[in-house]
Amino acid sequence: MYQPMLFLHWKQIRAALLPLVVAAFALPLLSVQGLGSLGSFPAEPIGAYQFMMNSGWWAPVFPTLAAVIGVTLALSSWNWDHQLNHVYALSLPVPRWRYAALKMGAGVVLAFVPALAFWGGAHLAAASVALPPGLHAYPNALAVRFLFSVLVSYAVLFAMAAGTVRTTLVLVTALFVFMLVGGSANEFLGRHFEYFQRVNVVEAFFQTLVSRNGPFEVFSGSWLLIDV
Amino acid sequence: MNSAIELSGLGWRADRAFSLRDISLRVPVGSIYGFLGPNGSGKTTTIRMCLGMMKPDRGEIRVLGLDVPRDLPRILAKVGYVPERPHVYPALTVAEQVRYHASFFKPWDEGWAKELMERLGLDPTRKISRMSKGETGKLLLLLALSQRPSLLVLDEPTDGLDPVVRRDVLTAVLDYVGETNASVLISSHLVHELERICDWVGVMDDGALIAELPMQVFKNGIKRIKVTGAPVEPTDAPFTILSRDRANGTPATETWVVRGWQDSMRAWFESSGAVLRDIVDLDLEDGFVELLRSSRPKTPYRS
Repeated sequence: MYQPMLFLHWKQIRAALLPLVVAAFALPLLSVQGLGSLGSFPAEPIGAYQFMMNSGWWAPVFPTLAAVIGVTLALSSWNWDHQLNHVYALSLPVPRWRYAALKMGAGVVLAFVPALAFWGGAHLAAASVALPPGLHAYPNALAVRFLFSVLVSYAVLFAMAAGTVRTTLVLVTALFVFMLVGGSANEFLGRHFEYFQRVNVVEAFFQTLVSRNGPFEVFSGSWLLIDV
Repeated sequence: MNSAIELSGLGWRADRAFSLRDISLRVPVGSIYGFLGPNGSGKTTTIRMCLGMMKPDRGEIRVLGLDVPRDLPRILAKVGYVPERPHVYPALTVAEQVRYHASFFKPWDEGWAKELMERLGLDPTRKISRMSKGETGKLLLLLALSQRPSLLVLDEPTDGLDPVVRRDVLTAVLDYVGETNASVLISSHLVHELERICDWVGVMDDGALIAELPMQVFKNGIKRIKVTGAPVEPTDAPFTILSRDRANGTPATETWVVRGWQDSMRAWFESSGAVLRDIVDLDLEDGFVELLRSSRPKTPYRS
């Protein structure tokens, strides 16, 4: 049952996944371009600080790509079932939780494809640069972080997409309303309560999500391939 | 277990415009049950509730002796379902879709699936998105039959198909039933199509089951009769008068469409002072139309 489900998901996503896999492989390589290769070390060796500044420019791109891959995987999981009004899926003799688990599992396995490409790209990138003294490459740690980020965004979107389009719209709208109204409400409350002058609720909310122990913590923190 | 499907007191409200009202229906084991009704009468909704795809507001559903929704996976493992509209994955080929479907059904008959594929003229390498409606219909039937179901639920399986494909589909169903004695619930608004194959018939209209009886009784029991000197209010008639019209040019003669007719009822006309002039058999379609007319709000008496 699992194998055909995996095949189905693969057929659904392969066209969209291919460019993302290429990007996952290429991004680590791009992030070390111009930092001096092993074969052609620059006449003026780049210092550790400059080296980190250059490669650090790419740091936000990695989690963004991971999120895009996770979202693509999740939306493709349910896309066909939504189009078919779930009639075919509901006529299959499996409990619904098991059907959802099979779908989820197929997506998890497929998440390893871009993660492996990223891991390969990161290793190749790390091997192709001459590191200044004091700096180290962390291709494995970065690839693991990349994989977790893909899985987190996949899991969140998978859960949202598993519901009806209406449920998803309600959730997304609620979030936007919170962002829009929350800022103004905070300003209004700030005029009356000192607490709201110090704390911005919207900012605090998003900070909690990405801070340590928050559900999206994996997206924040260090995304450097080369670090001290 | 005497019933393949048993619904009692099923009710569901979609909105102000449509609801299912107190549907009690019984599909006997081994029968081919024709589920008739105009478009939008509630056939598909009832079928989806039988298969646990929708939840009724009230009532009980038992399929193959098991409870819906409690025993749903066990029920669905024994039910071959052909939905109203093609619900298969368009990017797969025929062979891929068959393989995917087979992985969910334990008693999958690989040999018969191949035989059916040949018999129905399906190309295993063909992509579903490029298939015609007729070909997709055949594929859905192949999927339903190859899982060797005890119950086939066919929701408008031949709607929009050309006569040749329609015959192929119905022949395949009849062959399977002849071989396995499976029960069939087949919904359609194409009345003449069901006339030849069904043992039982249930008629839906506007969310209610307005008749359920053996096909022979339905066909033989509905007659068009010509009556002269009929009483104005024939309250004690032993049959149901579905419609009553004045015959053209003869004011004293009326044409009645009656249900539940038996030859022994001729005597009633003599006792009520009327004269029975003629009895005409109606085919299923005419009977169906008259039944629907009689179940709908009464229009003024036509003269």
